[in-house]
Amino acid sequence: MTTRRALLQQFACGLAAVVATPLGLPAAPALLGLSRKGRVVRGGFVDDDAGVGHALRDGTAALPAGRPERRVAVAIVGGGIGGLSTAWRLDALGLTDWTLLELGARVGGNARSAEYPGLGGQRAPWGAHYLPVPAEDAVHVRALCRELGILGANGEWDERVLCHSPQERLWQHGRWHEGIDPRDAATPEVRRQFVRFEQLTAEWRESGMFRVPSAEGHRVRTEAIRRGGEAAKVARAVQRLDTMSANAWLREQGLDAPALRWWVEYGTRDDYGASLQQASAWAAVHYFAARPTEEEGPLTWPEGNDYLVRALSQRLSRGRDAHGQERIRAHSPVVQLERRGTTWQLDTPRERIVADAVVWAAPLFVLPRVCRAVSLPVEIEYAPWVVANLVLDCMPEERGATLAWDNVVYGSASLGYVNAQHQGLGQPRPTQLWTWYHAVTDRPAREARQSLQQQPWSVWRDTIINDLQRAHPDIAERLLRVDVKRWGHAMARPVPGTLARVESLRTWKPAPHLFMAHADLSNLSLFEEAQWHGVQAAANVVRALR
Amino acid sequence: MQLALFLSVCLIAACGLIYELVAGALASYLLGDSVTQFSTIIGTYLFAMGIGSWLSRFVVRGVVTRFVIIELLVGVVGGLSSLALFLAFAYTEAFRPTLYALVLLIGTLVGLEVPLLMRILKDRFSFKDVVANVLTFDYIGALVASLLFPLLLVPRLGLVRSALLFGLINVAVGLWSTWLFRDVLPRRRWLQGAGILAMAVLGAGLWKGQAITTLAEEGMYADPIILAKDTRYQRIVLTSWKDDLRLYLNGHLQFASRDEYRYHEALVHPGLAASRARGRVLVLGGGDGLAVREILKYSDVQRVTLVDLDEGMTALFQAHPRLTALNERALTDSRVTVVNADAFTWLAANSAQFDFVIVDFPDPSNYHVGKLYTSAFYRLVKQHLAPGAFIAVQSTSPMFARQSYWSIVTTLEGAGLRTWPYHVYVPSFGEWGFVIAGLDSYAPPRELPAGLRYLTASAVPSLFDFPADMQRVPAEANRLNDQVLVRYYEHEFDAINR
Repeated sequence: MTTRRALLQQFACGLAAVVATPLGLPAAPALLGLSRKGRVVRGGFVDDDAGVGHALRDGTAALPAGRPERRVAVAIVGGGIGGLSTAWRLDALGLTDWTLLELGARVGGNARSAEYPGLGGQRAPWGAHYLPVPAEDAVHVRALCRELGILGANGEWDERVLCHSPQERLWQHGRWHEGIDPRDAATPEVRRQFVRFEQLTAEWRESGMFRVPSAEGHRVRTEAIRRGGEAAKVARAVQRLDTMSANAWLREQGLDAPALRWWVEYGTRDDYGASLQQASAWAAVHYFAARPTEEEGPLTWPEGNDYLVRALSQRLSRGRDAHGQERIRAHSPVVQLERRGTTWQLDTPRERIVADAVVWAAPLFVLPRVCRAVSLPVEIEYAPWVVANLVLDCMPEERGATLAWDNVVYGSASLGYVNAQHQGLGQPRPTQLWTWYHAVTDRPAREARQSLQQQPWSVWRDTIINDLQRAHPDIAERLLRVDVKRWGHAMARPVPGTLARVESLRTWKPAPHLFMAHADLSNLSLFEEAQWHGVQAAANVVRALR
Repeated sequence: MQLALFLSVCLIAACGLIYELVAGALASYLLGDSVTQFSTIIGTYLFAMGIGSWLSRFVVRGVVTRFVIIELLVGVVGGLSSLALFLAFAYTEAFRPTLYALVLLIGTLVGLEVPLLMRILKDRFSFKDVVANVLTFDYIGALVASLLFPLLLVPRLGLVRSALLFGLINVAVGLWSTWLFRDVLPRRRWLQGAGILAMAVLGAGLWKGQAITTLAEEGMYADPIILAKDTRYQRIVLTSWKDDLRLYLNGHLQFASRDEYRYHEALVHPGLAASRARGRVLVLGGGDGLAVREILKYSDVQRVTLVDLDEGMTALFQAHPRLTALNERALTDSRVTVVNADAFTWLAANSAQFDFVIVDFPDPSNYHVGKLYTSAFYRLVKQHLAPGAFIAVQSTSPMFARQSYWSIVTTLEGAGLRTWPYHVYVPSFGEWGFVIAGLDSYAPPRELPAGLRYLTASAVPSLFDFPADMQRVPAEANRLNDQVLVRYYEHEFDAINR
């Protein structure tokens, strides 16, 4: 098939590229929303439910008189993975008389997604967008995957939902490189530090005290301390990790190569919304040591983990409560939660629900705001995030490796972007839909949240253009839309002291028949953690009510 | 002064040789047969230099001025020569005349340079020094240029920019001479103005080189283009030379009418003629209808479904008189249904069963096309197989892309299919590979339909025999989450294209 003509064509194309690049002018940043060619970049902030949240905080949410009352056995507050998993497990245990109250318009929490009807209904995530292939430890995750047909009876994963090639690329030294390992162009000393880091994480992995879900790791660790001896020594070393920041630990280990520090911080920012200074060393190690060095790509879908949410809620929607009513209720913020005699009373602006048990599956910091009798035993720091979905009229200019699923710019404050169309099976359309991720780690969380509230949308539009311009000089010309979602309390941040916080939350009994089901309990915002607590809560509810 | 003068000799010599090499390389690229091209171009060039040397005797007055003018002229003509040749090849019928005219012109001008320079220098140095030094530096320049050209210029700059760069150097030497010989040069300002203008022209050439080469690239097909069309997915170019019709998609040759029957007969008949049932046949890709033409040679074929992404492509092969003559109106046959859809999503969305499936996609040169060569895709095809049905897959060249070919075989096997790999020789492609895959056992057909030009029933079994240089090599299966095939293919074709 390669003829001399074809050769010549490639030669001529290469020639064109060589001629083009050094002479191409750098694109000017978009001024006032206008690209160089005078096109307006559209978009804005997407509803982030902050209005309802702030009304709960300020006690200004209205509760009209004469709302209907509904009786159920279990009320689940919050429709994220924790709440949905509680419901999933309750159904499996035969307790179907539950209702799930979601504050926003749709369930899914951090895993919700956007829909772009103009792009043929293409969806793109607003947050959680992949699930690492669950190891044998994650029994419930595997059970769910089996139920959804993703994991075959023969133990094989459906190839279509494993992340397709090419998975990742990194912008470094003026071009895209396949893979996001920054050590390709590193000096021997830097490589040595990477090897040393890998040895350290391999040792920690060996200890069995870093697991997903994390509860199993915690169990192994506390058990080891109880038993004493060599294992106890390791356990205490693990606990010592949680007394310092990832930054301090890397320094203590003599790991100071910028490429390695970037690599580790990419992990802490990506999973925890935390810088090296903010993240506990325990959490940083957990990121690398808790999972086997995987061979198959993660499980992912165009709409991110919303695929799992939608599949799950579709199943749950088939069932009805004891009165034959729909069980999942959107637009139902719980404004007040009160214990009345032997039942709980939950007030939403639409109705009053009376339940025998409550599963709190919303972020923990909200609970004291609606239930005055309860206060949290620990203080949790929440990381703010900004996620934007970008629509481009076609692929912008770039150099090097071709568009991957995850596209990371080395040294950038952002986490790069994910191509929402990557998992499609058909040939790609020219219009691009990218999800840009940014954990706000450059200032204290509270201050960051305030600035998120104050900054206009245009600041994010320009931040994104500036961020991506390095890799794509004409990004401002290509952008059609920038839709920005602000997550004030995106996730519990595992700052030092995580192990102690997790332990007090584990033994915390706030009130009779009030159960917790949220990833906050693990202080790690992961699907597996949220699901684990949902499953535990369901079991506890069933035990309590029977 | 002395060093500066001889350095300029060195540069002039380098420039002259570069133009010659550019012309030779371009002619070899475009016309093939590099021995002939280089021989005739070097010969013409040296002969033209002789003409230049002879002409130098007629330059009597204003030797320095004329030397500078020649420098500027050589710079402009030589610098733009490569671009001009690209354009001439793409847009005119007169590539060879342009080529040799340019080589003659440049050679003549370069031939004038050295005699004139020697005459300028003869008053400043002794004759024996002039001859010795000029020729020494001349040959040094030639050596430098001949080393730079293959090692640095072609790989880094390419032919067009190399010529332009040396054109600029040539003009710069001219401008420099106006300063070196400022004491004997009248109308210096005028010459300098011309030099700056020449630099501007060459600079603009460098600047706009991209647009011009793109323009040239579009015309870079061997034969006259009879149709060029941009569809939503690709650029279709059809060329015609005498009775040979060629189809290019995005610049890649898809078939040449002279020998496409070899490819399509081999793709279809070894599998289909051996098929127990032929009622329902599915073709994935193959929007040219040539495989369908072969399929329709069986009277027991009742229904052919062709799924091709590109409506522009199938519409063209349903309507264009020369193309419908080639595919014998296969796509408008009443037994044929054309579906314009993506094969992967189309297969996923329906459950129809087929007695035979042809998979004829472009080579797996990128991750998007590569998805159509994955185990996930073949598993999906498998779900559409009626009992006893076979698949025939076009599988790139087991000769040029050996590991790619065997990776496709491994992938089919990984999808739970038995495979029977085979190959044929198609002159315009070279050795080409296919795979028959299915759940049941395959045996070559005893009989083929009438009207075939290449295949005979007795020859079919021999297609399954692989000579030593194409035999199976270890290769991994191609999976959506690990597309090894695209990497094999890139690697193997890179090795050839070097």
